[in-house]
Amino acid sequence: MSTSPEAVDDATDDATDDATDALKPDDVVVDTVVHQAPRDVANAPKLLEVEHLVKHFAVREVRGLSMLRSSVKAVDDISFVVREGESLGLVGESGCGKSTTSRLITRLEDPTSGAIRFRGQDMALMKEKELRPLRREVQMIFQDPYSSLNPRQTVGTILRTPLDVHGLAKGREKARTKELLELVGLNPEHINRYPSEFSGGQRQRIGIARALAVEPRLIIADEPVSALDVSIQAQVMNLLARLREELNLSFLFIAHDLGVIRHFCDSIAVMYLGKIVEKGWKRDIYSAPQHPYTQALLSAAPDINVVRGVPPRERIRLKGDPPSPIDPPSGCRFRTRCWKAQDICAKVEPPLELKESSGLDQVIACHFPEVKTSLVAEVS
Amino acid sequence: MSTGTSPSGASIRDRVGSAGDVVLKVEDLSVRFASDEGPVNAVQNLSYEARLGRTLAVVGESGSGKSVSSMTLLGLHNPKRTTITGSITLDGTELVGASEETMRGLRSSSVAMVFQDPQSSLHPFFKVGKQIAEAYRAHHHVSAAVANTRAVEMLERVGIPNPARRAKQYPHEFSGGMRQRAMIALGLVNDPKLLVADEPTTALDVTVQAQILDLIKDLQQEFGSAVILITHDLAVVAEVADDILVMYAGRAVEKGLAKHVLSQPNHPYTMGLLESVPSASEEVQELRAIRGAPPSLVYLPSGCSFHPRCDYQDQVPGERCVTELPELRILPNGRQIRCHLVDPERVLSQETSR
Ligand SMILES: Nc1ncnc2c1ncn2[C@@H]1O[C@H](COP(=O)(O)OP(=O)(O)OP(=O)(O)O)[C@@H](O)[C@H]1O
Ligand SMILES: Nc1ncnc2c1ncn2[C@@H]1O[C@H](COP(=O)(O)OP(=O)(O)OP(=O)(O)O)[C@@H](O)[C@H]1O
Ligand code: SF4
Ligand SMILES: [Mg+2]
Ligand SMILES: [Mg+2]
Repeated sequence: MSTSPEAVDDATDDATDDATDALKPDDVVVDTVVHQAPRDVANAPKLLEVEHLVKHFAVREVRGLSMLRSSVKAVDDISFVVREGESLGLVGESGCGKSTTSRLITRLEDPTSGAIRFRGQDMALMKEKELRPLRREVQMIFQDPYSSLNPRQTVGTILRTPLDVHGLAKGREKARTKELLELVGLNPEHINRYPSEFSGGQRQRIGIARALAVEPRLIIADEPVSALDVSIQAQVMNLLARLREELNLSFLFIAHDLGVIRHFCDSIAVMYLGKIVEKGWKRDIYSAPQHPYTQALLSAAPDINVVRGVPPRERIRLKGDPPSPIDPPSGCRFRTRCWKAQDICAKVEPPLELKESSGLDQVIACHFPEVKTSLVAEVS
Repeated sequence: MSTGTSPSGASIRDRVGSAGDVVLKVEDLSVRFASDEGPVNAVQNLSYEARLGRTLAVVGESGSGKSVSSMTLLGLHNPKRTTITGSITLDGTELVGASEETMRGLRSSSVAMVFQDPQSSLHPFFKVGKQIAEAYRAHHHVSAAVANTRAVEMLERVGIPNPARRAKQYPHEFSGGMRQRAMIALGLVNDPKLLVADEPTTALDVTVQAQILDLIKDLQQEFGSAVILITHDLAVVAEVADDILVMYAGRAVEKGLAKHVLSQPNHPYTMGLLESVPSASEEVQELRAIRGAPPSLVYLPSGCSFHPRCDYQDQVPGERCVTELPELRILPNGRQIRCHLVDPERVLSQETSR
């Protein structure tokens, strides 16, 4: 099982001090910080509530000789909550709707239906003008540190633009820009440099500084470290963890790496073909997953500890690839790849619900859930 | 080895030689490119061997020279801009300086290559089955019909459903995982002794990645070939590799058995990499990132290329880390490392338990 909460509490205090010490305005700062804060996120107020969120993209599809109008069910009725200070991880295979979800929450995309409540205010249907103040509070960090920054703008301009847009730090914009660079571990002297003069990891830091410029409460991070080298990835993860502590940020954190998710998140939602199939606290998801898809994901994730004498894990291998979101399977969308599927799975869509009998907290959308504890060989 | 079964290397019924035979021997290989900034030392003094029935993982960060070293095997560099020194012997034939004809022959018969992006090797305008059949006919005097049958068999062997129908489709009609399988089928159609897989699963989902890694392991058991797996993912190495070669800034910095290196690294860089990776089976309180970033290959640091990022220089007397390039040396435990530390095992294990 995972570390007990008490043990985490103890370790946190001194590590946070370290983090502040480590914050020197050098080119690259190594953050040393413990990410599992003594936070009681379970009882914190709700910051973001997503309810029955749907996004269908209209597409034209060639079938034989005819052209059909159809729709991609990219996100199909998902609901979740992110509380103050919580980091919710979103995982699932390519095309399951993770980025679409993040683009809906940041309103880069208009939802087909559903509610997106930020501190109780529904932003799903808001017009641009009403959205403006909320846009400030919900910021996005992108995967690609190369294409997400304008190559013709200096770092100073990149960080100043959001300040101007929201009328922040009036009269002390430059000082604030330097503060931001310092905050993410970059040298404030480099304010006049262009993105091309920075490495990938440093560019990702610039992207983070830009998101933080407007003092957001919620960060939507879509694969923020996937494009980075392993050693740089750890630096950026530590930076995010430190900022999260210092600024009490909440996160919707998208990643395909189950190690990264485990390290950063409090809770996890597993998506499959536009639906959430399992959702719960990290501890339960990793040590007692109940949905067959979650189990398959955990079983398939390569793990470095296999060479360190951990007991062999149960091996589950899915066949094939996920089906098309244009024409998803009836009933349970996972049934075409599921080893447990019965007739009912094709007929009735399983609701996402608590399975009392398991005695665990997570919700699962499966007709035949079963607790498996053998998929991640826990290192104690 | 997610199952804990079938330790690779054991019980191989091979068709091409006996398990453990050296198929590929790379000795003191250096590859240099001309660039506007100056010469790029992409690979320097690299030596390694690939053996039948074994998987060698080549790991390192982006730009460390992993792909360049393997592309050199296939002679895929522009000779006008590239200087290659050292020796590469494949099945007894020297490749450095070999004629284009020799290379072409070897490329399609003895070595198969699988890339991260199968799109780059499968021709977009030809049907998948046809491409595999043509590759087969290049080395076997058989009719088109026989070659087609062989192509369908290969597609079936790599786990593509409805192989006969799929053979008649174009690459774009395949999903990413299927294209990667087709690529492997194409690579293996002539029973190569060596399979070089350059980030074969990096673009794939974990569930599909697991399928492809299993497939490579199974095929290796069946054909007994040598596999070189190039990857930046240490967890993948842990799952499939027998041997490991860690590269940093164009040079080998640590070599040994994968399970030994990954469970007890002897080079500070390998150690740093391992501490940077969050694991799905363990909750660490913090990741101990390596500070800084890899150097430019045009302006390599003096002495040990890793010294600007290394925390152990103070354990080496004098300024040797800054002034003197460490040789790749063999430790008493059989491990090879390129580092001045006198007793790295002791120094690094103290660090872990700190
Ligand atoms: N603008 C669009 N028009 C049509 N289809 C779209 C559009 N944007 C996304 N899709 C489709 O919606 C589905 C979900 O895409 P999305 O990008 O959200 O997936 P994802 O989970 O982020 O995947 P990945 O892990 O590959 O980033 C995919 O099938 C995708 O092709
Ligand atoms: N044709 C070329 N001309 C000039 N430089 C090159 C050429 N090919 C590669 N390089 C350089 O050689 C170095 C090593 O590249 P290589 O592709 O081997 O890295 P890698 O370890 O495979 O990295 P990645 O993980 O990003 O694939 C890089 O700095 C690269 O820019
Ligand atoms: S030689 Fe020195 S700088 Fe290089 S890895 Fe060893 S201890 Fe570190
Ligand atoms: Mg995405
Ligand atoms: Mg490469």
